[in-house]
Amino acid sequence: MRKIKSMKNDTSPPSVMDSMEEKTIIGENISIMGDVQGEEDLLIEGSVKGKINLEKHHLTVGSKGQVEAEIQAENVTISGRLVGNINAMGKVEIMKEADFNGEIKAKRISVEDGAYLKAVIELERGPQKKTEPAIRLSDHTVSKPDKEPFSPAGETEKRK
Amino acid sequence: MATSAIVTNRSLDNTYIEDFSADYASDALRLFIANFQQLQDSQVLDIGPVCGDNINFLAQQVKRIYVCDMFTRLDRDKRKGLQSGRVWRHLDYPAETFDGILLWDLCDRLDDREVGRLVDLCHTMIKQGGILMLSALGEQVKDVTQPVINCFVIKDDFRLYLRPQPHLHLPLYGRQNRDVLSMLAPFRPVKSFTCRNGVREFLFRRD
Repeated sequence: MRKIKSMKNDTSPPSVMDSMEEKTIIGENISIMGDVQGEEDLLIEGSVKGKINLEKHHLTVGSKGQVEAEIQAENVTISGRLVGNINAMGKVEIMKEADFNGEIKAKRISVEDGAYLKAVIELERGPQKKTEPAIRLSDHTVSKPDKEPFSPAGETEKRK
Repeated sequence: MATSAIVTNRSLDNTYIEDFSADYASDALRLFIANFQQLQDSQVLDIGPVCGDNINFLAQQVKRIYVCDMFTRLDRDKRKGLQSGRVWRHLDYPAETFDGILLWDLCDRLDDREVGRLVDLCHTMIKQGGILMLSALGEQVKDVTQPVINCFVIKDDFRLYLRPQPHLHLPLYGRQNRDVLSMLAPFRPVKSFTCRNGVREFLFRRD
């Protein structure tokens, strides 16, 4: 495993030591079976099977990463392959090269188009705006298949 | 038995894409979503192409959104030379899991036999009283071959923008409304719309 210091924010003055955040990298030739717990950010390019707990930190599954785990983290970014459930206090980012299968509970999510997902997603929901349906479903029915379908009058509507 | 016409041997028509990419207000989607607002624990399955905008939108409207892009899975299976029927292994959800299923225009990419399999699966996966929404491309598709697959991107006020997915290649089957209704026979049709760009939208309920 390698440990690097990376700038947390590129716009921060370099003299501010607080802006330096430690990050551990699990390289692509490393395999871990078991639980991983930490107090710093983690980038996985190798293989991990087990539980990952980085409660206040950022987990990244890199493009070569292969992870099968239950994950608890502040933020999660997925570019590689991940099977398992994610519980994130903050944001989950799924990049287009990602292959994810599992459940996500998070505050926010961003998903790049083209990502390969089979997911159950539950986000923290804001106050609900009530959608007023223009027409109630129960008020109308469409034409039966044996009738001439889609007559302009009646149940079928033409809309922009 | 419903019939369909597979569209073949014509090059992609740009006029078609330009006309077709116009955005439109989806009353079907508005009704579909309104159906879940009384439910505390609503669960909806979206089998359209993976789209961040749609996931964010739907996740704010329902308790749990299930995402399983069947367009990409069909395309992958086709490239691997697998039998088309095998793709349904991905829809392995328990019976009566969903309050709603968004099919988008997936049926347009399937022959009649596979539409039948999909409809049977949906009928099993959806709860009693659950709503199924599907779209069908307009009549103009009969003039084009392999027209590009679109993702229906949900924007403000239930407007849908069609975003091309050029990496996906699936055949297109043009169907008349009566054929769509006939193939969805296990469900009760409750509402349908024809949009100006030719997209037809249908809502069905499982009784």
